[in-house]
Amino acid sequence: MKKASRIILQVALIHVFLYAAIGIELIIPVPLPTTIIGLFLLFFSLLFGWIKLEWVEEGGRWLLAELLLFFIPSAVGIIDYEEVFGLQGLGAIVVILLSTAVVLATMGLIVERFGVSES
Amino acid sequence: MMIVFVTVLTYVLYRLAKWLGNKYPILLFHPLIFTPGLIILVVYLSGMSFQEYQEGSVFLTHLLGPATISFAIPVYKHRAFLKKYFLLIVTSVLIGSVVAILSTLGFALLFGLEDMMVISLLPRSITTPLAIEVANEIGGVPALAIVFVIITGILGALMAPSIFKWLNIKSQMAKGLALGMSAHAVGTNRAFEYGEEAVTFSTLAMIFAGVITILLSLTVLPFIVAVI
Repeated sequence: MKKASRIILQVALIHVFLYAAIGIELIIPVPLPTTIIGLFLLFFSLLFGWIKLEWVEEGGRWLLAELLLFFIPSAVGIIDYEEVFGLQGLGAIVVILLSTAVVLATMGLIVERFGVSES
Repeated sequence: MMIVFVTVLTYVLYRLAKWLGNKYPILLFHPLIFTPGLIILVVYLSGMSFQEYQEGSVFLTHLLGPATISFAIPVYKHRAFLKKYFLLIVTSVLIGSVVAILSTLGFALLFGLEDMMVISLLPRSITTPLAIEVANEIGGVPALAIVFVIITGILGALMAPSIFKWLNIKSQMAKGLALGMSAHAVGTNRAFEYGEEAVTFSTLAMIFAGVITILLSLTVLPFIVAVI
């Protein structure tokens, strides 16, 4: 089978988990987002051997490799928020810079101190 | 018809950004900066409305769902690793997620940002599809959240090497978990420089940070947002 058609088939199979998650939400009111339910369904289906890794691996790799493509329309939505292009936006960047440095440092120090690597 | 036009336009400009980004790795050619910028220009010039563009984008946006579900695949592939380090990963990422949210909130309030900006900033350290879910959950603006997520990834990956050096952080485990937690996929990309183990830790940290932040957004975050 050609690579492209294999990817399309596998992406279709991953859709089964999306619709199963939507189905579950209709029956039991789970507060989790649909995609997270789908993620757990796919993980446990793999873990319990209900489906084989090869059936979804290539399709999943394609979806994750092209992930940025699927956000572009949402990113275009920024046009409705002109305040981002002013002082508020600049402030947000400084907030991100400071907070990201704090997270990097905290995580790094905690794991370096308490994590025991076995390799 | 609009769906075909929007999908093709977006795809072509996305490929162009990827190609340019490979040749000239500068921020301008990031697919989430270059492509939306050009699309905004095309939409303006063609006399099409942004509403029409958004309506035509349903096919692309729809694929976000299956893409997010696909994060199960790398987790499954690294299940042996995950089992071995489960407690460490979950504990450190839980602490990291709380620190990310609280420090963002603190700095944002300190700088006097508007409520809409503050709320949209909160999910900034997790991967985009999940950040959109969190933004919707707590009343933020998804379009803003996406931009903040991208900036976070870029700045995190940029700062990480110097911070690791200053604080004398050496293990691949610490570097990987810190990168995945603080800078999601962009950080994971940076982790390749430190080795296979760092990449695995970073991937797992990124996915767990997303799931944990979603759980926080369903439980404690609404109370924090209510106080702002």
